[in-house]
Amino acid sequence: MFEFLIHVAIMACLYGLLSLSLNLQVGFGGLVNFGQVILFGCGTYGAAIAFSHQLGPVAGIALGIVFAVVVAAAFARLGRNLGADYWGIATLAVAEVLRILANNEAWLTGGAQGISGIPLLFGDMPRPMGPLMTLGLCLVLLLAAWWLCQRLTTSRYGLALKLMREEPQLAASLGYDLAALKTQTLMVAAVLAAASGFVFAHYITFVGPDQLVSSETFLIWAMVIIGGSGNHLGAIVGAILMQFLFAFVPFVKDALGLPSEYVAAMRLTLVGGGLLAFLMWRTQGLIPERIGGKQNG
Amino acid sequence: MHKALLAAACLALSSLPALAQEVVLGAVVPLSGASATLGDDQRRGIELAVDKINEQGGVLGGKKLRVIVEDSGGRAPSALDAAKKLVTVDNVPVVIGEYSSGITIPVGQYLVQEGRVHLNIGSSSGKIRGLGDGSFSLIGLDNVSSGFAAQDVVDNKWKKAAVIVPNNAYGQGVAEQFQKAFSALGGEVVTTVMYTEGQTTYRRELQQMERSEPDVYVYSAYGKEAATINRESFELGINSTPWYAIYLSMCTSDADPKFVQGQYGLDLNYIGPDGAAYEAAYKAKYNEPFKTSFNGYGYDAVMMAAAAIEKAGSAAPKAISAALKEIGNGYKGATGDITFDADRQRSKQPYLKLKIEDGVQQR
Repeated sequence: MFEFLIHVAIMACLYGLLSLSLNLQVGFGGLVNFGQVILFGCGTYGAAIAFSHQLGPVAGIALGIVFAVVVAAAFARLGRNLGADYWGIATLAVAEVLRILANNEAWLTGGAQGISGIPLLFGDMPRPMGPLMTLGLCLVLLLAAWWLCQRLTTSRYGLALKLMREEPQLAASLGYDLAALKTQTLMVAAVLAAASGFVFAHYITFVGPDQLVSSETFLIWAMVIIGGSGNHLGAIVGAILMQFLFAFVPFVKDALGLPSEYVAAMRLTLVGGGLLAFLMWRTQGLIPERIGGKQNG
Repeated sequence: MHKALLAAACLALSSLPALAQEVVLGAVVPLSGASATLGDDQRRGIELAVDKINEQGGVLGGKKLRVIVEDSGGRAPSALDAAKKLVTVDNVPVVIGEYSSGITIPVGQYLVQEGRVHLNIGSSSGKIRGLGDGSFSLIGLDNVSSGFAAQDVVDNKWKKAAVIVPNNAYGQGVAEQFQKAFSALGGEVVTTVMYTEGQTTYRRELQQMERSEPDVYVYSAYGKEAATINRESFELGINSTPWYAIYLSMCTSDADPKFVQGQYGLDLNYIGPDGAAYEAAYKAKYNEPFKTSFNGYGYDAVMMAAAAIEKAGSAAPKAISAALKEIGNGYKGATGDITFDADRQRSKQPYLKLKIEDGVQQR
């Protein structure tokens, strides 16, 4: 049980990073990114490609961040002339194009068969130290990301982001460079997502294009919406809650003696029904955004 | 969260007394997501085997056999959640699964690293071979089916083949292995088309293949897409050239009989000594013929695991693994003879050579 809890906590932290990253874009900047999973994918493929070229994990994280920043720049460039909703569709399209590229460029990405055998980060350590160290790394990453997001959004920069979200024309008239704001936000968010992807690749030990389907993006969206869009703590809580619910549904099945199909149905209901319920009755999420005050995020 | 932990802890405790009277195995299959139909069929095979073993008095002197089937959702993270639950909470010695190789590989790697037995029943990617000691494949990897197909095509005196397969891990594996085996036998693959799943038409792909003037079209496709490909090849008139299906029943189950008349192909062998009884049990329980060709592997996996537990006289993973290596030498399964090679993979599979001539006939 202990090791299972460590596993669930690791996954919750990795999703927490993704959720923080999406929240920075959507919750603060109003950037409706439907291609979030590809920023994560930049991290996973960075790790995998570095591994398949015997370059080691440091090169892996560097490669992942470079990929993610380039994709973020492309997203931002696309966004210059598009309204928020059209931009969202464009990001979805770009993410799909990149996934299909990963599926076909077998010389680089291993194609649909992916890249397997990526080593565990602390695989040499005796258990349960290895998983515990991974969890420690994930916690450090999550806290650092939280601190960074908090710093960004409680400063004047954060106010500019919120102004861009609420009144883009007003923000432009006050002299804010919206294109630069978007680009910077996307790049910061992309680095967080890539970090999550890098650890994920070394934890799952396998990277393939099936991990980058668009439904994964919407899972992260559900975490942000349920947790509370526009609040960093909310985004983290949403991710942790969803991950724990997902992981513990099978235990409910065992306890009640339900057939296995119910687990599948229950998971789908949790995501879909939960999302719908929050959108209808509690749009602000579990932990709502706080308005005003320098120290509040 | 505290409550959830508490509840989980209580559950873990409450299930302890039950463990003493039963032997528990685990399975991870896709019961939701894109491959849910296949995963559910795998579950049926597992269920039938559990029923049969318990009817015959269980294992290890009357202990009941139970298989905890978990849903992978068709996602690697959820599959790993399930595998970790089975290993660290339910403490099962054997985990059966999954279907997609992108999920089977990480799950198998995890199980090998934990020293448990992994039984692959659905993935045919060549990378499965490298998973390590403790991982067994009951399904022939793509080199087995593609090698058999290449030999069969050559035996029919067809020299130039055009290949169409789905653009996923399965299809890419089949295309690569077929090309390799067919060239080694002196044939030539003149075009390889990887189709995108879920399209409404495949005319462009078919016409591209037609331009290469092959002697034979070799294909492997899933139900709905296979039906579209067969209908359009009939409409374009290119079905006058022979068609060869890798897994004929999967390729033609949803098609109108007149579109697939005259097709050649290979399929799994269910005519082994255990096979006919298995097929009858499946029909009796689910009131329909086999939904996919994958349920039999689930059945064989549980039957073999139970036999290995009996032989070893213990449900410890190491003992089961050693017993499986001994049993896996001409084991009479529902899917035919099962013999493992040095890498614990099923090296040969007795496929049937079939032809559709007013219904499926054996050649």
